[in-house]
Amino acid sequence: MYRWFVRFQNMDRRWIFLGMAIAILLPMLSPSSASFSIDRPVRDIYEKVESLPPGSTVYISADFDPGSRPELEPFYRAVLHQLFGRDIKVVAGTLWASAPPLVLPILQEVAESHGKVYGTDWCFLGFKDGKELAIKAIGENIPKTFPTDFYQTPIEELPVAAGFKQLKDFNLLILVSAGFPGIKAYVLQVQGQYDLKMVGATTAVSGPDYIPYYKAGQLLGLSAGMPGSAQYEKLVFLDAGTCSGFEKTFLNSESCVRAGHTWVKRPPKVMPERLLGIEALSVLNLGHLFIVGLIILGNLAFFVTRPKGVE
Amino acid sequence: MRTTLPLVITFIVGMIMLGEAFIPHWRYRVISENMFEWGLILAAAAFLLGLINLVQVNLPKVLRRETDWGYKAVMLVALVATLIVGFAGGADRLNNGEAYKWVFDFVFIPLNATMFALLAFYIASAAFRAFRARNIEATVLLVAAIVVMIGRVPIGEALSERLPTLVNWLMEVPNTAARRAIFVGAALGAIATGIRIILGIERSHLGGD
Repeated sequence: MYRWFVRFQNMDRRWIFLGMAIAILLPMLSPSSASFSIDRPVRDIYEKVESLPPGSTVYISADFDPGSRPELEPFYRAVLHQLFGRDIKVVAGTLWASAPPLVLPILQEVAESHGKVYGTDWCFLGFKDGKELAIKAIGENIPKTFPTDFYQTPIEELPVAAGFKQLKDFNLLILVSAGFPGIKAYVLQVQGQYDLKMVGATTAVSGPDYIPYYKAGQLLGLSAGMPGSAQYEKLVFLDAGTCSGFEKTFLNSESCVRAGHTWVKRPPKVMPERLLGIEALSVLNLGHLFIVGLIILGNLAFFVTRPKGVE
Repeated sequence: MRTTLPLVITFIVGMIMLGEAFIPHWRYRVISENMFEWGLILAAAAFLLGLINLVQVNLPKVLRRETDWGYKAVMLVALVATLIVGFAGGADRLNNGEAYKWVFDFVFIPLNATMFALLAFYIASAAFRAFRARNIEATVLLVAAIVVMIGRVPIGEALSERLPTLVNWLMEVPNTAARRAIFVGAALGAIATGIRIILGIERSHLGGD
């Protein structure tokens, strides 16, 4: 046994790579569903969007790249479906050079699935370099920062964006951010100065960084990583509904049932073929279990072998 | 003059930007808006500067056949090819069937995603080797890490309904307290550095001491 633990501690790391690959591939090949609850910060984003009246306009800053796409795309898609499903208009832009080819096709696809028209119901302003300076600039004067949209159409000719001079003119700011420049830069540069209403979705690794902003009320909602995205998908596509007798007062499904009322499900206007975030949770399940198992076994081996001087 | 002029410009621009956060008068907004515009133009120019620098540094190494010149050649070819297909595509470059879209979808996305995905394997290996309960502090870190890793996924909730609550507490109380302390410390440091730069006490950005 002692020798086994010594060998285990010194095993070739390629065995770990192989184990990790199996832990990731198995759930992909045979996906399973698992129940999960919704965190308060994620529900806050949903409720904030639900509270917007139809015809409102939101600004989405989609700042992510292919590396962070699996974590953020499910949220991005879900929130777009929610917005267009509620006839809310969308003006989108990005501060990441690698983002436009990624975020624009998704925006086009979701908008088309809801029958929304470019220029009237949504538009894409494209990429603007300058990082924090670009944030300050759009906080102060959008037409000056983005004189044209991605297709070089003057912004005044787009009914959806015309009349919006500053970020504070939008009903809500939705930040889908994988890092810098992103949520933190928006909070530091413009949120306090213009008292903006902002919600954010970020990667799991950045999530803990932004919790202080959520707790301080600078972010009105926060979704972190794949679990956050999956929870948002669940809210938008699986759990959406109204509490009977309380149509005008928003109650979520849990509090509705707890209060003794009936939750009437409201099917989404457009149901995607796949819910990528929820599907990915089973991968995350096994991946996390594998790492935790390795850590526990590694420590067991460490304690068994330590008295004889093996570390 | 070579030192004084940049210091004067730094002082004037720094003071204007400082006032921008506190003075809502429209005349002041006009000045600050122009400042932002200049900054954005400079940022765009930096892209061009980066491009020139990249070629300047790598092209001679390729021509001299220095170590790893092949990788640098691939990088330069990719750079030129992407630029050409990007400019050629114009505003339609992201439409299906366009060469730029193809390069992005079938070269950039797989490469970028692969780099990020490799983290899963290296993190598993690093966690196995480094996470050891060698002392009290390491043990606290280890236990917190395991609780968060399990509690953030559905299996944690299946094991115990209290696990997500514990994870949320860890995130919202100890994590927030520590991060706020770091944020406040960093902010005070940034204010002090900003004042030193505006007043010309800190001059390292000018290339001096």
